[in-house]
Amino acid sequence: MEWAKESLEKVEGSRAARMKQQAPMPSDPDLILKNFHPDYSGKERTVNAGPNAGDQKFPLELADLLEADSPLPATHSTVTDIETDVLIIGGGGAGAAAALAFEGSGLNVHLATKLRLGDSNTVMAEGGIQAALAETDSPRRHFADTMVGGHGENEPDLLRILCEGGPKSIEWLSQLGCLFDRNPDGTFRLRGGGGTSVPRVLACRDYTGLEIMRVLKDAVRLSSTNVLEDHAAVELFDDGNSTVSGAVLYDRKKASLVNVSARAVILATGGSGQLRLQGFPTSNHVGATGDGLVLAYRQGCRLAFLDSYQYHPSGACYPEALAGQLVTEAIRSAGAQVVNSEGVHFINEMAYRDVLAAAIIKETQEGRGITTPNGKVGVWLDTPMIDLKNGEGALAKQFPGLIHRFERYKIDPVKTPVLIYPTLHYQNGGISIDSQCKTEVKGLWACGEVTGGLHGKNRLMGNSLLDILVFGRRAAESVKEKISERKLLTLNNLNEFRKSQLQKQITSPTFFPKASKMKLEIGKSAVEAETTDSSSSETSGGFEPPDPFAR
Amino acid sequence: MKNIEIKIAGKPISAQPGETIVHALWAVGMAESVQTGCAGGVCGACTVTVRYADGKPGGTELACMKPVEEGMEVFPCPVEPDKAVEPVINPDALTLQSVFPTVNRCTKCGSCTTACPMSIPVMDSVMRMQQGDFDAVAEDFTTCIHCGLCRFVCEDKVKPHNMGLWVRRSLGKSQPELQMADEDLNLIEKEWQHLMTDDKQERIQRAKTFREKGSQ
Repeated sequence: MEWAKESLEKVEGSRAARMKQQAPMPSDPDLILKNFHPDYSGKERTVNAGPNAGDQKFPLELADLLEADSPLPATHSTVTDIETDVLIIGGGGAGAAAALAFEGSGLNVHLATKLRLGDSNTVMAEGGIQAALAETDSPRRHFADTMVGGHGENEPDLLRILCEGGPKSIEWLSQLGCLFDRNPDGTFRLRGGGGTSVPRVLACRDYTGLEIMRVLKDAVRLSSTNVLEDHAAVELFDDGNSTVSGAVLYDRKKASLVNVSARAVILATGGSGQLRLQGFPTSNHVGATGDGLVLAYRQGCRLAFLDSYQYHPSGACYPEALAGQLVTEAIRSAGAQVVNSEGVHFINEMAYRDVLAAAIIKETQEGRGITTPNGKVGVWLDTPMIDLKNGEGALAKQFPGLIHRFERYKIDPVKTPVLIYPTLHYQNGGISIDSQCKTEVKGLWACGEVTGGLHGKNRLMGNSLLDILVFGRRAAESVKEKISERKLLTLNNLNEFRKSQLQKQITSPTFFPKASKMKLEIGKSAVEAETTDSSSSETSGGFEPPDPFAR
Repeated sequence: MKNIEIKIAGKPISAQPGETIVHALWAVGMAESVQTGCAGGVCGACTVTVRYADGKPGGTELACMKPVEEGMEVFPCPVEPDKAVEPVINPDALTLQSVFPTVNRCTKCGSCTTACPMSIPVMDSVMRMQQGDFDAVAEDFTTCIHCGLCRFVCEDKVKPHNMGLWVRRSLGKSQPELQMADEDLNLIEKEWQHLMTDDKQERIQRAKTFREKGSQ
């Protein structure tokens, strides 16, 4: 990193002095947020269609999708292809947790995912999961921390359920076979996170989401759940009387539409970071395009708090190939400071995520950032401090993922700080649900990142992994209690929605990031799709990969 | 900067220096030719094999993590999941051998270790599985993304990552139950009522005080 030599020397030069003192929390966090947080940039508008027409504002990119037309042909048939009791849409942690909670219920469960089971934001979560397990802690204290972090906007009923579910969820995961890091005395190792007043974050190194997801995935594969991979949800069916009764899926492998009749539908489709609001990079997986928001909206579900997104303060900024990918907050709680181009520790790195992200943007806008050869600007995360504070080898032991990703680019975070800039990380808002995960429309439940209200306007580290477990399972419990008889399949709600002021030139959901140029050829028959898309049959055809070990 | 020429399953494309195989495919509209999931190196969807023009040894990679190189040839190499095996409480080497009978067929060729994109010492860990050294196995497989490449390249049908997960889950299930402290339910409910007050302004004020003290 020769191009940053001058600034790196300043960072090294100030390290010894910085080690001994803490940087202050910002004196006026609200002012920093208003002036520098992307939520306040004004790049938002109201929409002209659907249940939120004319009320709250949405990011421009999302507003377009909410007003867009469905890709489903008006003539689409409503003949049932698959009949199930429960259809879960989404193959991440929330969907998997819901599926497991149906075991032994006698209900037939299908889980549909656009990608493969487990390909999700869950698997990418690094830092940890919150649960009030420390002696000085309690679910009430967890509640208080989260409420303050969410600027008092959190739905109290949902938040209480989350916090009370913490210890029980850790016990549930442990019984499924999750291994969390432990102290030498055998107790769970708990770390602090931004905004926690006591250590409350459990982790499995910096692969916590991977550990949870691979265990859930294995358990789902061993369960009676029917998993439909590479099946994207295109639209929901209703019974003609505003009750959701199933979904239209698109089978990517067969290039055909599949009608599913279900007595209950659970949306667990996750977030929308791949909309890359305001040109920000994202830490999200390729499927995070807000599909569930669009589907629920057309059925009449109101959306809440979608003017609020989480920009994670520490997205990688260099090398270019890693841009936007997460550098876990746990590295900051373990002692790495956030430092500007002059080597100045300009803010306490345990400030709430939104405040810290805004403060980093402020530094770069005011000329105290470091510009990469690709023209991106960031600030330093002083990772070498971890070993200095905690002993040699501490960084590699606790954060193998960080080392693994950077070593390919000949960057050793043990010796050299990494460059960071905020990355679009989490959809704070989403579909409004009640305390039973029921949406405002009968027959439709929702859980996890697709919902809004729980996290208020800023989510704390470790609360989303807890969210998907607590509310994924809760949605299933509620379905078991409230499931109705099978209903007709109609597209009445969609047809009604189509009468409003739509932007007919675009369709949604978009399914994949714009940058990927991937498009699902919905509406074409399988035969048509095959003959028109000659390039893909040529490239993904049935050839044998060569033996990689042949010398 | 000069473009880099690579081939995907025989088809030549131009890529930007510094970008990964996945992003090179996106840029030319060929995203569908390699399955992707997280595009962040942890879901294991985008397994590929690569060969190099200059004769340097090729191998297996995650397309989302591997930067393009001049003359590189890339072949999609999707790996189907194997049947899951139910974990057990207090696992030992004999139980592992009974549910994964191929564990002793390992001929120590080392292909699995070479194939692993996460730098796990896979073959050594298979030896440890044979001996029942399960704490070490669990540590080895901490970073396993279950891409399946170790199983895919094994000529002896050994299933290292499946066994690694089985060991980890089995050890996990054998953990003692979490002891929940006895608590005063009346006090707890009183604290909840205090924190859950209907007045929004008052609620955040109470939360601010409570989080400092740990009580009301």
